[in-house]
Amino acid sequence: MEKLSKTARIYLAIVFIILYAPIFYLIFYSFNSGGTMSSFEGFTLEHYAAVFNDTRLIVIVLNTVIVALLSALISTAIGVLGAIGIVFIRNRKMRNAVLSLNTILIVSPDVIIGASFLILFTLVGIKLGFASVLISHIAFSIPIVVIMVLPKLMEMSDSLIDAATDLGASKRDILTRVIIPYIKPGIFAGFFLALTYSLDDFAVTFFVTGNGFATLSVEIYSMARAGITLTINALSALIFLVTLGLVLGYYFFNNRTRLTVRPPGGGN
Amino acid sequence: MKSIIRASLAIIAISMILMYVVSLLEDTSSAGDGGTINVYNWGEYIDPELVSQFEEETGITVVYETFDSNEAMMTKVEQGGTTYDVAMPSEYAIEKMKEADLLHPINLNKITNLENIDPYFLDLPFDPGNEYSIPYFWGTVGIAYNPSLLDGQTFESWDDLWDPTLEQEVILVDSAREVIGMGLNSLGYSLNSTDMGELREATDKLKTLGPNVKAIIGDEIVEMMRREEAAVALTWSGQAADMMWINENIDYSVPEEGSNLWFDNMIIPKTADNIDGAHEFINFMLDAEVAAQNADYVGYSTPNQAAMELMDPEVIGDERFYPTEEMRERLEVYENLGLEMLGVYNELFLEFKMDMEK
Repeated sequence: MEKLSKTARIYLAIVFIILYAPIFYLIFYSFNSGGTMSSFEGFTLEHYAAVFNDTRLIVIVLNTVIVALLSALISTAIGVLGAIGIVFIRNRKMRNAVLSLNTILIVSPDVIIGASFLILFTLVGIKLGFASVLISHIAFSIPIVVIMVLPKLMEMSDSLIDAATDLGASKRDILTRVIIPYIKPGIFAGFFLALTYSLDDFAVTFFVTGNGFATLSVEIYSMARAGITLTINALSALIFLVTLGLVLGYYFFNNRTRLTVRPPGGGN
Repeated sequence: MKSIIRASLAIIAISMILMYVVSLLEDTSSAGDGGTINVYNWGEYIDPELVSQFEEETGITVVYETFDSNEAMMTKVEQGGTTYDVAMPSEYAIEKMKEADLLHPINLNKITNLENIDPYFLDLPFDPGNEYSIPYFWGTVGIAYNPSLLDGQTFESWDDLWDPTLEQEVILVDSAREVIGMGLNSLGYSLNSTDMGELREATDKLKTLGPNVKAIIGDEIVEMMRREEAAVALTWSGQAADMMWINENIDYSVPEEGSNLWFDNMIIPKTADNIDGAHEFINFMLDAEVAAQNADYVGYSTPNQAAMELMDPEVIGDERFYPTEEMRERLEVYENLGLEMLGVYNELFLEFKMDMEK
């Protein structure tokens, strides 16, 4: 790639500063002994201590993570199979229709999805809580996974499947040994996108939480009446660090697997 | 394929471990076998220590959840699917919930600590005989101001807001009944007025306040006042207390013409599961020592007479938050004016806001 010109680099730096400044501002004040976000009075770690002392807050954070992991996992499984199904629909019109139905779910406002889930759950008699949040998160993540996996599937040449069939592969073999390994990057991308969607979803979750089960976004929103305390700053700083660690870990892991799968000069 | 299966198993394992940690954490925070109650309250509106104390004393596990608006709380209760045993809505919400048959009557015989409550706060128009609700905290509507940003103005009267030196300084809370009510009060009318002539007069008077109004906003008021971005605000006493907690320059006053008296109350929703536990919790919160500790933590005014005796006399003697009897006479609780009249209030408030944009 060409080296970036000086102006381009400055522009890039400015954009990143603007994007990251609010986060660092928040983290900076998490060390404030003054108790507000307005004036920095002195360094303290008491807000971090408060995070670890507040069992309820920790339980909420853990619940948020559990819901995100499980919903991303299940929606990835369903979404991948769905995408494979869509690609193999012969009738073009039919395929486009199914795809549009999928897109509508992504485009439609979260509030509407959330409200309709609330109505559905009460109608069916599912108690609001862990199950309702998990189900709704799975539901809104599936279309996202489908969209992430589709391009990889489209890109795959039909002759690969034909070749596999010629060599005597069963349908099951084709799925597990040809298609899925080929679209693996798409699957992981879908999973991580579903994970982030679930982690920061507010609108849908707001409607379907209840009976003492809450996720972090809903909880922070509820605190707004009495003012958000610096404990939330401290918690945000911790979450930011963990996310940073995850992203770095993901890159590290990715680079390493790429190296082992395709060692330079090798060809298996 | 192998790596995907491995990743999936890892994710499931991590989730299981986290779930186990959650169950451990929830166990340590509760004592055990006296059943469970679900408490639904405003954020930051209880001293968490008291919840643990209640759990230790009764063996009832408290599942605590928070809401940010009366409307959100009502929706959750109305839709079903939840089993909140105790909730703390404001008084107008109680009237609405009563009309919608969402409340479970409270058995006052079980609330032995009710005698701690000042009779002045019992048997109010929104719930005659306290059939469905017990007061939790109360407060007034008034003016929060920052003398260090003003030249010596005080706010004894609502009319002081119209002072020409306050151009672009006043913040109003974005709520029809508070703002129109202030207009009515400033003219000496009741803030429950349904007289169209009075309402029109109040709205016209409010329109002349336009040049002084800096903004009409919600909860952001607290942050703006704390940071001294605004000097004067029409707000609730609870919010004023939140401001003063951080910024000691701020003062609060309830104008002499009168104002609103509001309540947050404990209720038992119709969908409650553990009615006995709910009664026990309400009774516990009314205990003198508990209420005193809670009022100290939350910083709002407590209706609990017995608790007031245990509290710092300086806090109780603060007439801004514990108005004198004479002042109380001029405070009015919002009455339910019916949907149609509420529509009129909203329309007039909108008219006032539209007029500001000119």
